[in-house]
Amino acid sequence: MKYFSGSIDSLIATIKNSFRPVVTESVRPEASRAERYRASFALTHDANGEQNCIGCKLCENICPSTVITVVAGPKRVSEFTGKKRGYADDFTVDLQACIYCELCVSVCPTDSIVMVRVQEQPSFDREDLVLTQDKLYANETSKPLSWANGTKLRAMLDPNASPEEDAS
Amino acid sequence: MNPWLHGAVYGAGLLGFMMTVGALASWYERKFTAVVQNRLGPNVVGPFGVYQPIADAIKMLRKEEIIPRDADRPLYLLAPWIPTFLVLISAAAVPFGGYYAADGHWQSTWLVADLDLGVLWLLAVSGLMVFPIWMAGWSGNNKYALLAGMRMVAQGISYEIPMVLTALVPVIAVGSMSISDIVAYQAEHGWLIWKLPGIGLVAFVFFYLASLAESNRIPFDIPEAESELVGGVLVEYTGMRFGIVLLSEYLHTLVASIVASALFLGGGHMPFLSAMLPWWTAPIFMLLKVGALFFSIYWVRWSWVRYRADQLMELCWYWMVPISLAMVMATALMVTGGWL
Repeated sequence: MKYFSGSIDSLIATIKNSFRPVVTESVRPEASRAERYRASFALTHDANGEQNCIGCKLCENICPSTVITVVAGPKRVSEFTGKKRGYADDFTVDLQACIYCELCVSVCPTDSIVMVRVQEQPSFDREDLVLTQDKLYANETSKPLSWANGTKLRAMLDPNASPEEDAS
Repeated sequence: MNPWLHGAVYGAGLLGFMMTVGALASWYERKFTAVVQNRLGPNVVGPFGVYQPIADAIKMLRKEEIIPRDADRPLYLLAPWIPTFLVLISAAAVPFGGYYAADGHWQSTWLVADLDLGVLWLLAVSGLMVFPIWMAGWSGNNKYALLAGMRMVAQGISYEIPMVLTALVPVIAVGSMSISDIVAYQAEHGWLIWKLPGIGLVAFVFFYLASLAESNRIPFDIPEAESELVGGVLVEYTGMRFGIVLLSEYLHTLVASIVASALFLGGGHMPFLSAMLPWWTAPIFMLLKVGALFFSIYWVRWSWVRYRADQLMELCWYWMVPISLAMVMATALMVTGGWL
């Protein structure tokens, strides 16, 4: 009898609950994404139009799911600064296994790799999810970049920094 | 009308009705769930998100069909289609309409085939439902699916007994196995749920609970048991095959509602109103009853918790089977005693 009355009570509770006002909000596709939303990657150029990446492979080493592959080229003298520096001949990010942890961004010493705020489009081919160097450099101009780069993220991690600086 | 033409026309009508309701049921369940849980539910595709099933179907059709390497291929490919087929043909003997003929007798109409053994047809077809689920559970070569299939077989066979016994109550009371005769009797003598004092109501509730168990709805959904068995027999299915199995489950709940309203709630008959209103109101009354029962399935889904496997068997074998047997005997005594 206890079970019987309990069953009836729960049925009544369901009906009562269904007359309560809705507490969730409607999905708004036009709404702006959160400030820190990040979805894909881009490689950046410096002020001279030269690639930022020096091929140090820090991002390749720190990546937890090992989706980044950097092929470092030989060091040569930059024609703009006159200093000897490294270059990356090839740079791929395999989004199929990426966990979007942003560790590659925070470790980058030259602010070369950053995240962008728009996802890659869905596709029928798995190879479309592998970001090649060309796609990464194209993302720099075609998609809005995330606010974070390696310098800012490392400054936030500094325990001696004043709390106001991290408000960005 | 030519019986072949009649069967083709009404069969197509029934098929269209059931597929439409089966597709809408997935939207209805999500929307009802959202209302109960104070959410919005699907609201993007079409008015109130009512085109959501179409979007889901397109999505499922475009998905990759993954067949496990060690699957039993013929069984694996065949298994989703059989329950859908069975559940679609099982409602063929149920009349949806009817009217009072000139001599005062209720004439049932709007049925695909007026079978003399309609109740037997229903029970036989729903008895077959165990096999395709077991095929699906076995052929995927997956432990979870196999466990779910075994649970389903145990549950299906057990709950078939109270279902058959409670379906016998109207059969004995009316003295006919034809569903149109049962509906006609109820139109002339009152609904069986009230006509048989006490027994009718209990038999109706038991029949309905057993139908719920047959169609694996909460509180009897241990074959699915997503928290323990991942997804039951659906584990290995992807794409449209997955969708077809889901559709057959929704259709099963619909058929359970149709059959219960025909056997115990008088089909298309409504007291006082049917005698006054024209013939085309009978299908509307029928659909109202089916809708109420269909609603109660989803109502129960969000009110009750899932039975444990042993509690499920206990409920069936300790309570429902003996009480159903007693009800069958009591009905038989009432009929022989001339109290009906």
